[in-house]
Amino acid sequence: MQYENRQPDETVNYSSEHPLREFAWLVFGLLGVVAIAAALIGFFAGEIASRLPFSVEKDYARRISQHWQDKPRDVAAEEARAALRAIAAKLAPVMQLPPGMEIQVHYAPDAVANAFATLGGNVVFYRGLIEKFDSEDAVAMVLAHEMAHAKLRHPAASLGRGIAVGLTLSLISVGLGEGAAGSALQTAGVLPLLSYSRRQESAADAEAMAALAAVYGHVGGARDIFDVFARLQPSSTQVTILRSHPLTAERMASIERTAAQRGWKLDGARRPLPPALARLKRARQDKP
Amino acid sequence: MESIQWLIFLALLALGYFVGRWNERAHFKSIREREAKYAKVLAFAVRYPPDVVTPQECRLVSGSVVISSDYFKQCVAGLRTLGGGRLSSYESLLDRARREATLRMKEQAQRFGSTLIVNVKVETTTVSGGARKGLPAMEVMAYGTALKSAAPRAPAP
Repeated sequence: MQYENRQPDETVNYSSEHPLREFAWLVFGLLGVVAIAAALIGFFAGEIASRLPFSVEKDYARRISQHWQDKPRDVAAEEARAALRAIAAKLAPVMQLPPGMEIQVHYAPDAVANAFATLGGNVVFYRGLIEKFDSEDAVAMVLAHEMAHAKLRHPAASLGRGIAVGLTLSLISVGLGEGAAGSALQTAGVLPLLSYSRRQESAADAEAMAALAAVYGHVGGARDIFDVFARLQPSSTQVTILRSHPLTAERMASIERTAAQRGWKLDGARRPLPPALARLKRARQDKP
Repeated sequence: MESIQWLIFLALLALGYFVGRWNERAHFKSIREREAKYAKVLAFAVRYPPDVVTPQECRLVSGSVVISSDYFKQCVAGLRTLGGGRLSSYESLLDRARREATLRMKEQAQRFGSTLIVNVKVETTTVSGGARKGLPAMEVMAYGTALKSAAPRAPAP
C-alpha cells in the first residue's frame, strides 16, 4: 500500500476574500446601524422633550430669559422692545397658545439680520432684521413664525434630539458625542443655533399665516418677508436668518398654496412700522 | 487630542494591514515550500503503525509555534464579534500556525531519521491565558510518535 501526505487544499480552511472588503462591510455596516439608532433615538427624544410640561422647559430656560431680559439697553432699545411686544400681544390671543405658555419677546440691538425662538418661549428679534422691513405686517409675520415654533415646542424637541444624538454618538467616540451634545447644550444657552427641520419650518409658517390672517385680514406680511429675503445677500455673515430659514421656491409655493386653500388674501393694506421701529430704521439710514 | 488618537489608530491599522499582509504572504510561501520539502515524512493520526513495518524504534516528536495577530486582523475580528460570523481574519492565521507546527514536527522527525509519524495530535492555546485585552497571540503544537526501522533483533536463543 502506498501512503502519502498531500499538500492541503488551500481553498477550504480560510477565505480568499480580500480582507479590506470584509473590513469595509463591517465598518459601513456598523456606521449604518449607529446612524439608524441615532436617528431613531433622536426622533423619540425630540418627541418626548416636546411633550414635557412647559413649566419644566421654562424652569430650565430661566438663565436664557434672564440673559435677554438683562441685556444692557438704552431708551431706543426699550421702545423697540415695547413695540415688538405690542405686536406679539396682538398675535398671541389668536395663536391659541397652550395654557401656561407665555411668549417673551426680546430685542437685541445688533446689526445681525436674524430672529429666533429658543427654550422657555423666548423670542429674540435683532435690529438688523427690523431694518430690512417696511411694514408692521412683515415684522408680525416673523414674530408669529417664531412664536409658532415656541407654541409647537420646537426648541425643546430640537434640544432633546441634539442631546440624545450626542449621547448615542459618544458610544463610538467621546469627542464626536460631545461635539453633537455640546452644540445642542450651547443653544440651550443663548446662541441661536437650534435647528429646525423643514417640516417644523412649514408648520410654523402655516401657524404664523393663520395668525396674520386673523389679525390683519390678509397674509401680505408673509409675501413681504420673502421678497426681502430674496433681496438679501446670502453670503453676508450678517444675514444669519437665511441659514436657519432657507428660502426655497418650495416654501414660497407652499405659502401661496396654503393661502389659496384657506381663502386668505395674499395682499392688502400694510400697516406702517410702529414709530419706535421706524426710528431705528431711520437712525440707521441717517448714518453714513 | 481626539484627532491625534484617531491618527494613531489609523496609522496602527495601516501598519497592521500592510505589514501583516506582507508577513502572511511570506509565511504561506515558506510553508508551501517546506511542505514540498518534507513531503516524504508522513504524518498520520492513526494510533498504531501500519502492519507492514515491524521492528521499530520510537520517539516522541513535537513542533510548536507561537503566532501573533496584527492590529488590522484584531480590528476586523473585534467588529466581527458584534454581529457574529466567520472570523476569517483569524482563520488564515490559525491555518498558518497548524501547518507551521506540523512542519516543525516533521523536521524533528527527519533529523531523527524517521519518515513516518503516527498518532499525530494538534493542540492550541492562547498565550495570554484567556485574559481580556491580553496578547492577541496563540500557540499551536503538533506532536506524534516518530517511527524508524530498528536493526533486526537477535533471534531468541
